[in-house]
Amino acid sequence: MSDSRFLSLEKLTLSYGKNVAVPEMDLDIAKGELVALLGPSGCGKTTTMRAIAGLMEPASGAIVLDGANITRVPANKRPVGLVFQSYALFPHLNVYENVAFGLKLMGVKGKDLETRVNDGLKTVGLSQYATRKPAELSGGQQQRVSLARSMVMEPKVLLLDEPLSNLDARLRLEMRTELQRVQKESGVTMIFVTHDQVEALAMADRIIVMLDGHIEQIGTPEDIYNNPASDFVADFVGFENVFERVGDTIKTANGDVAISGNIDDATKGLAWRPSMVTLGEGPYEGTVRGTSFAGGTREYLLDTPLGQIKAECDAALPAHDFGAVLKFDLPVAKAAQLARTGSL
Amino acid sequence: MFQNRAEAFALVLPAAIFAGAIFLVPVVILLSEGFRSGDSWTIQAYIDFFARPLNQAVFLRTLKLAAMVTAASAVIGYAAAFAIVNLPPKGKGRITGLVVLPLMISPVARTYAWIVILGRTGIVNEALVAVGLSDEPIRFLFTETAVFIGLLQLFLPLMIISLISALENMPRDAVPAARVLGANWLQVFTKVILPLTKEGLVIGGTLVFTGSMTAYITPAILGGSKVLMLETLLYQRVTMANDFVSASVIALILIVMAFAANLLLKRLATARNKR
Amino acid sequence: MSNKLYAPIILLLVLAFLIGPFIIIIAASLSAGETLSFPPQGLSLRWVIKVFEVESFRASFGISMFLAIGGTIAALILGIPASYALSRYKVPGAETIRTIVSSPIIVPGIIVGLALLRYFVVPFNFGILFALFLAHTALILPYAVRVVSASLTNLRSDIEEAAVLLGCSRVGAFFRVVMPNIRGGILAAFILGFVTSFNQVPVSLFLSGPGVRTLPIDMLSYMEITYDPSVAALSALLAFMSLGIVFLAERFLGFSRYV
Repeated sequence: MSDSRFLSLEKLTLSYGKNVAVPEMDLDIAKGELVALLGPSGCGKTTTMRAIAGLMEPASGAIVLDGANITRVPANKRPVGLVFQSYALFPHLNVYENVAFGLKLMGVKGKDLETRVNDGLKTVGLSQYATRKPAELSGGQQQRVSLARSMVMEPKVLLLDEPLSNLDARLRLEMRTELQRVQKESGVTMIFVTHDQVEALAMADRIIVMLDGHIEQIGTPEDIYNNPASDFVADFVGFENVFERVGDTIKTANGDVAISGNIDDATKGLAWRPSMVTLGEGPYEGTVRGTSFAGGTREYLLDTPLGQIKAECDAALPAHDFGAVLKFDLPVAKAAQLARTGSL
Repeated sequence: MFQNRAEAFALVLPAAIFAGAIFLVPVVILLSEGFRSGDSWTIQAYIDFFARPLNQAVFLRTLKLAAMVTAASAVIGYAAAFAIVNLPPKGKGRITGLVVLPLMISPVARTYAWIVILGRTGIVNEALVAVGLSDEPIRFLFTETAVFIGLLQLFLPLMIISLISALENMPRDAVPAARVLGANWLQVFTKVILPLTKEGLVIGGTLVFTGSMTAYITPAILGGSKVLMLETLLYQRVTMANDFVSASVIALILIVMAFAANLLLKRLATARNKR
Repeated sequence: MSNKLYAPIILLLVLAFLIGPFIIIIAASLSAGETLSFPPQGLSLRWVIKVFEVESFRASFGISMFLAIGGTIAALILGIPASYALSRYKVPGAETIRTIVSSPIIVPGIIVGLALLRYFVVPFNFGILFALFLAHTALILPYAVRVVSASLTNLRSDIEEAAVLLGCSRVGAFFRVVMPNIRGGILAAFILGFVTSFNQVPVSLFLSGPGVRTLPIDMLSYMEITYDPSVAALSALLAFMSLGIVFLAERFLGFSRYV
């Protein structure tokens, strides 16, 4: 067993009754990695996470952790931790007792227990809140307690369910850095589930994009961002102009449009970010149907023979009016070339 | 974690089997007695039962009183509930508490009080004689009126509570809106309050009606054998004549009436909807 | 509101109607006279004292207490697992099961008492007290299930999952994490069940025998013999007991939240 296959899902199939949520998933996660399961709701990411935790029994397939097959091992015996989206703190216990809960069950007592709990609290910066009850804490603080509670158990894998979605923008940034720090310092293998691509891109070493129970693409944040493999992934990470490619044309709402440039034979689709659209010159023409100011940039929604096109340019440039007719281009050199289409 | 059906059943079955065995099974057997004569199934018992004038009278009286109590409690209930919901929070809580209070006291105690009030030497009579409205004590006890009053007192809180709940769920601005559009209070009641609170009325009405239909203590204490209701009749038939067949017949009537009342009230509620 | 006097008058009348009789009973029970009357002829505690001296009252009080406490405990033992299953799992036929468990509220008590007597006590020679115990337990069961279910619905299920992931067994998680948080609901169910059972008459009507009678039934039969104020005194005492329990429950528990 190599470190790159610290956690493996082998042909894992998860279903709810007759409904197959995740068919035969294969996935390898390396030791010490910070991995994101990214996708829209219903894509199976949470189901997969719960299966790893043991809260859901697979219909078939195997889960192997650090060389051991844990597929049939009950949840309370797996060396896996889970920080719930709602934090799931025990309302009748204070912070100290919440964090100590799992350790006590393991039989840790006395000085040993005290040290480990206090260290855990120190790591998340909540030492002075030890006697407070969960109801007296803010959302961000509750999450830290939840994190500490799982971390003191020294799990082999730590799972986090949508860790940042309940926090406001400011806290999100704080927590993001916090989580990365804790992960790097402790070296724990961390998997978090999210529907927010910004979160995934910012935090993860590797991202696993899921759709309808399948893995759409696995890659580093740079990979996913710059080289989406399918039209779904492209759209998900912000390529708002996505087209299927057939030969020398792209398929648009109004029929096939010729396109020229260096296109790989295997490419099935082309995608452009709004910032990649050339505005002001080009072979195509469109009418401005909407504009919005976004601080550093200005966005335009154009009605064109190719359908709706979203373009973006520097806010410093003079604005174009509603109804203005603009020339534009979709330069193939800038486009992301997609290996697959049909997922959107 | 909560997928295992076997676990779920194991947890739930003891209670279900217990309730089924103790309540349902014996009751079903009792009900079946009303349909048997010897070894055959027949409804003769029912025919015989309703053929007797005494039984008819008891049946009709029970229905009548139950209906009257329900109607009276609805009228008084709306008035009281409306007054209560408009109170400031502190007062509302206290008064609601006072209304619910009687429910925690034994029906025996609550009914017994009426003996003191309605008896020959009771308050009402003493007052009437003192004021000169009557030369001698009027017999109030062991009349339908007494039973009516007793039942009303017993079940009014249930209606009030149901209506308070329904009124609170009514959109706050519905009544002022109707008033601004020119409705007088009667119209406000029939066109706004009633349609919007009819669910509470149904719930309260069902509770009061079935409670009154299946009452024992109040008719027993305040009605005695002069004003028999279905349950006191049942008791009498069993204890004095070992007549289990009549008991079975009455039992079925009571259960059917309870269900029918529920259905009828639900129908009335939805019918208003269609107008 | 057009008429400011409308509300206070209505409320005064309604409250007088509902609570007045209770006040009258208290006054009547303090009468020094021989018969039941109001206003009382002189004040005295003799009838209140008499209540404690009547042996059958003492015996039936004990029986009612036994049924109320024992029946509620039994109902909770059956009802808590059932509520848990119904609120946490997807039970097939959940509605049917709920109806069966609630049936004691729908079926008139007197019928049940009679049926139990006829098909349970007599043919199998079970003691009346045993049959009473079963009947009272079944009677309290729907209240227990309803109140505990309400508490469970308000408690998120992910804390149980969290407990399991931290090493608890399922059963362990229930006792360590669920029970402490539904304690209030259980207590409320206990009080509600106790009061319901204690004041219950119809079920116990047919299930009474030599030496075995619930207190309300005993009071009823006593009333058939004499009209002296001791029944008033007993009614008043019982009322205070019920009210006292509920009042304390509200004070220390916020009882009304659960019901």
